[in-house]
Amino acid sequence: MKHPALKPPRPRIRYVSPRFQGPAVLAFTAIIAAGGAIFWKLVDAEFQRVFLHAAIRGHYSFGSAYAIVRDLLVYHMAGLFIGVLLTGSALVLFLAAATKHGIGKAVASLRSSADRDLSKPTGTSPIGEFERFGEKIDAARSDTLVSVRKLRSEAASLAAGGISPEEFRLRWDELKQRIRGIAP
Amino acid sequence: MSGPDAAGNGPLIHRRYVLGLLLRLCVNFAGGVGILFVILYFALSRPLPGDYAGIYVALRNLSPFLRPILAVSVLVYALLACGSTAALCVYILHKVAGPLYRMELVLDQYRSGGATRTVSFRNDDQIQPLAQAFNQWIGTLRRDRQQWLATMRDAERHCLQDEATCRAEMEAALRRVAEDMERYR
Repeated sequence: MKHPALKPPRPRIRYVSPRFQGPAVLAFTAIIAAGGAIFWKLVDAEFQRVFLHAAIRGHYSFGSAYAIVRDLLVYHMAGLFIGVLLTGSALVLFLAAATKHGIGKAVASLRSSADRDLSKPTGTSPIGEFERFGEKIDAARSDTLVSVRKLRSEAASLAAGGISPEEFRLRWDELKQRIRGIAP
Repeated sequence: MSGPDAAGNGPLIHRRYVLGLLLRLCVNFAGGVGILFVILYFALSRPLPGDYAGIYVALRNLSPFLRPILAVSVLVYALLACGSTAALCVYILHKVAGPLYRMELVLDQYRSGGATRTVSFRNDDQIQPLAQAFNQWIGTLRRDRQQWLATMRDAERHCLQDEATCRAEMEAALRRVAEDMERYR
């Protein structure tokens, strides 16, 4: 018999948002690939030139091909590292700023909802995922506003009078039931 | 887990989180460049012969192989760096994407009319104020709902008296509820 406590823990899924994590991963890999391609092009051209020059001049003082191109290689590798790091850092800062902007708007929208303002739109964001999330919040707020307006209209209609006691009691109970359905 | 009020006014993205991501990326890129360096070092460190003719032939023979050597080493660098950076990004961005996903589920549940739970994120998750703002909104809605129901219940108590008083109290309660609902815009 299986004991629930002995169940192996479920693996945690990290890749939950292909629309947010996917493009970010692609952008980073594009930076690395572009850096590698530029490095390859530059180093290939430089090495061809340097080795041809060294072959003609005969560098007796160098023990290996690496010794001939060491400085050049280190220079280009430093360039590759700094270039990729700076571009990657810029991307990280952009992602952080876009997240702050997009989620900040969603937070502001929810805070204004807490002040009973459900009609001010959340606004746009440079990242599609946050834009979609803002639309979801707006849809939830809009649904709530529609429900409250319907309830208000029903309450006002009942308060206006001119309804038979039986119908009044029926609609009163129904209104109470519908009010209970708000944020259950 | 964070409580409803915890980190409510904190930053959406912590500076430590951004610096941690930058540091990890730095280590990742440095590792990639290090691997590229090691490959090229071993490919180019074969000793050259001592005489002029030997050096000339060795260096001239190296030229045709240089391009494939560079291509393979850059490819290995790109694959390793891309793979590790992708894994790192998925792991780090999960601290933002995870809470967002959870919020979306809660919003879907709210819209479908299901019971809405208080949202709480893990301590190391980012965008904590989002949960706090959502809980604040749901809290306001629930308080208002309780107030409207309480107003209606109070009016129902008058039904122990005569029918006319009961009806008048109920209509007055409805007017108060409708007036209170007008605050929603």
